[in-house]
Amino acid sequence: MIIQTIAFYVFAAFVVGSAFMVISARNPVHSVLFLILAFFNSAGLFVLLGAEFLAMILVIVYVGAVAVLFLFVVMMLDINFVRLREGFLQYLPIGASVGLLLLVEMILVVGVLATSPDTVAVAAAPTPDITVVSNTEALGALLYTKYVYLFQSAGLILLVAMIGAIVLAHRVRPGVRKQSISAQVSRTRAEGVELKKVKTGDGI
Amino acid sequence: MEIALGHYLTVAAILFTLGIFGIFLNRKNVIIILMSVELMLLAVNINLVAFSAYLGDLVGQVFAMFVLTVAAAEAAIGLAILVTYFRNRGTVAVEEINRMKG
Amino acid sequence: MAELPNLIPAIPELLLAASALVLLLFGAFRGDTSTRTISWATVGVMALAAVFIISGPSDGVQTFAGMFVADGFGVFMKLLILLGSGLTIILSLGYLRDHGMERFEYPILILLATLGMMMMVAAADLISLYVGLELQSLSLYVLASFRRDSERSTEAGLKYFVLGALASGILLYGASLVYGFTGSTNFDAIAANIAAQEHGASVGVLFGLAFLTAGLAFKVAAVPFHMWTPDVYEGAPTPVTAFFSVAPKIAAFALFVRVMMGPFGGLAADWSQIIVVLSATSMVLGAFAAIGQRNIKRMMAYSSIGLIGFALMGLAAATPEGIQGLILYMTLYLAMNIGAWAIILNMRRGSSLVENIDDLSGLAKNQPMMAAAMAIFMFSLAGIPPLAGFFAKFYVLLAALDAGLYTLAVIGVLSAVVGSFYYLRIIKLMYFDEPAEKFTAPTREVGLIITAAAVFTLLFFLFPAPFVAEAELAANALFR
Repeated sequence: MIIQTIAFYVFAAFVVGSAFMVISARNPVHSVLFLILAFFNSAGLFVLLGAEFLAMILVIVYVGAVAVLFLFVVMMLDINFVRLREGFLQYLPIGASVGLLLLVEMILVVGVLATSPDTVAVAAAPTPDITVVSNTEALGALLYTKYVYLFQSAGLILLVAMIGAIVLAHRVRPGVRKQSISAQVSRTRAEGVELKKVKTGDGI
Repeated sequence: MEIALGHYLTVAAILFTLGIFGIFLNRKNVIIILMSVELMLLAVNINLVAFSAYLGDLVGQVFAMFVLTVAAAEAAIGLAILVTYFRNRGTVAVEEINRMKG
Repeated sequence: MAELPNLIPAIPELLLAASALVLLLFGAFRGDTSTRTISWATVGVMALAAVFIISGPSDGVQTFAGMFVADGFGVFMKLLILLGSGLTIILSLGYLRDHGMERFEYPILILLATLGMMMMVAAADLISLYVGLELQSLSLYVLASFRRDSERSTEAGLKYFVLGALASGILLYGASLVYGFTGSTNFDAIAANIAAQEHGASVGVLFGLAFLTAGLAFKVAAVPFHMWTPDVYEGAPTPVTAFFSVAPKIAAFALFVRVMMGPFGGLAADWSQIIVVLSATSMVLGAFAAIGQRNIKRMMAYSSIGLIGFALMGLAAATPEGIQGLILYMTLYLAMNIGAWAIILNMRRGSSLVENIDDLSGLAKNQPMMAAAMAIFMFSLAGIPPLAGFFAKFYVLLAALDAGLYTLAVIGVLSAVVGSFYYLRIIKLMYFDEPAEKFTAPTREVGLIITAAAVFTLLFFLFPAPFVAEAELAANALFR
């Protein structure tokens, strides 16, 4: 039990700390790296909560794809880092007060829950015993049966993301020579070789 | 000391506030705004997984999985729009996103 | 072996999804020259989907494990959405050709956005709500920045994206709280849980509801969550703006109504005050901010904020009459707005589009028919009887008075009076000012759409009964 408690506090502290660094770091590359740290530590929190599959997804998909995508874009856009974020402090006082207010309210809500823990779960999909069915298997059994509608819709959303990225960012560059294998293979002898009758002594 | 649901919700609340904070305070770089959105969604996911564990109900985890999927798609589109914008304007500073006023 | 879910209620959605995939493949092989073919095919698919919706079930049958519902309200709203989307695709054809935007992804993105809207309207669960909403929003972000070489278009896309993503995040946080404190994501189960609480809903649920409301208010662009609207309307390519002002508005509204009246119907006393504030501020801001605008797209953006405020009045009443008024309002709003945007899309000189209000001056001398149609739409938007816009406002106001929202109704009437100023200014420009240069004549399809919308707006008062009856049926589906 004590190990879990320590683990929770370590992970939670790292998540919050690195999230703060994401929004306050001077260099966007550092922000991305702190974002990755935040994802890793929340994966730790997910493991503590018994959601191993989501924890792995978070590391593989989020750190592996999304955060690296961010890193690519940050590197690709040639930004003048020195000029950036000079005016951060200018908005701090009003922002901080609004943010604190919001935070206090949200924590109050959490406090209310602690005093009235009688929320009854409807449990549309009760978690099966972990010793019988693993977390991944249980999620899979739900995802492909009960939630097949959402699964397919999520596929459409990813398709839109693909179309969108191509529509916005893909450019056909004129003057770039590309290898066309089908054109190479389908060349026949007739178009590749031209026979000329050269008269003796005349040259071409 | 037992770690209860409230602890996780508090972490999520702090993360969410930091995300909103990041969006409104940031005046210099749109990429940071996109990362703040990711932080907000991460907070939502922590909430969902914590509730899922507390209620003994897998729906929360399924929800969190879809949030992850959609967030990935959202990040891709956001970055594509950002790249297109950068090609046109040569800047990602928030203060300079002001071609239209009124 | 799991049983196959009942697919019959979802046939229209399945049709749209399947044809989006087929048309995408077709476009990928045929290239951008096939844009026109694909556009018309998309319109055809939407018409077919409308037929399936009309002949399909509308008795509140649920499928996909309670994720999806087909009821009278959904049927009515889906038909409006399909009509709006189909007409905008037809209106876009000329613009796409003139501005070198003929890319086959355009109609397909509109098709996918429409699918997302229909999923939103049919949602019966927080997860399917979110998935549908995001399918729509992501397509719209791309559409807003579709003219990728234009600074204004990409800026509009960026602004729309950032604020839309923020709204989605807020909405999701609310959804997570609602899930945690009621124990379910299903609308019926949430409603049952709230009804079972002895001391009313817990603070957690109310907090989640507040976040949800804020997120949804962002999506319908109600004040104070409206700041993206003018910039996005001005910057996005004009046919996309026309699309934004019609179908997504209706869908977001349908979703708003469904969430408020469905799972949180029992808490109407709590959220109704928030809606009253949103409604009043939207009407006032819409009326005053539009006055100073020179750009007609920007003016229409503020006008739509004001109209949204009016529609919210129906939701604030939270009675069957209020919802009925809101549904009628959206129907008539669709007709007036499509017509007005068809004319704005036709403010062309040669092949370039002009956007200043002054460019309309003297239109009555150059093109009397077009000026007459525009005058009808403007009078109608201002709410002058006996045009359709008057009835739209009338039903909502009546419902608000019935529900005892007197202050709100007075604010509504006053802001309508102020708002009519800028609509009438356009009419004055068209009829009494020196003519500017002539516009290019509209194509046959566009002319047909303008005429149909104008005739409907003008003659609605002769045959309101069938629409009123259908709207009543649709509204009652939410109160069973």
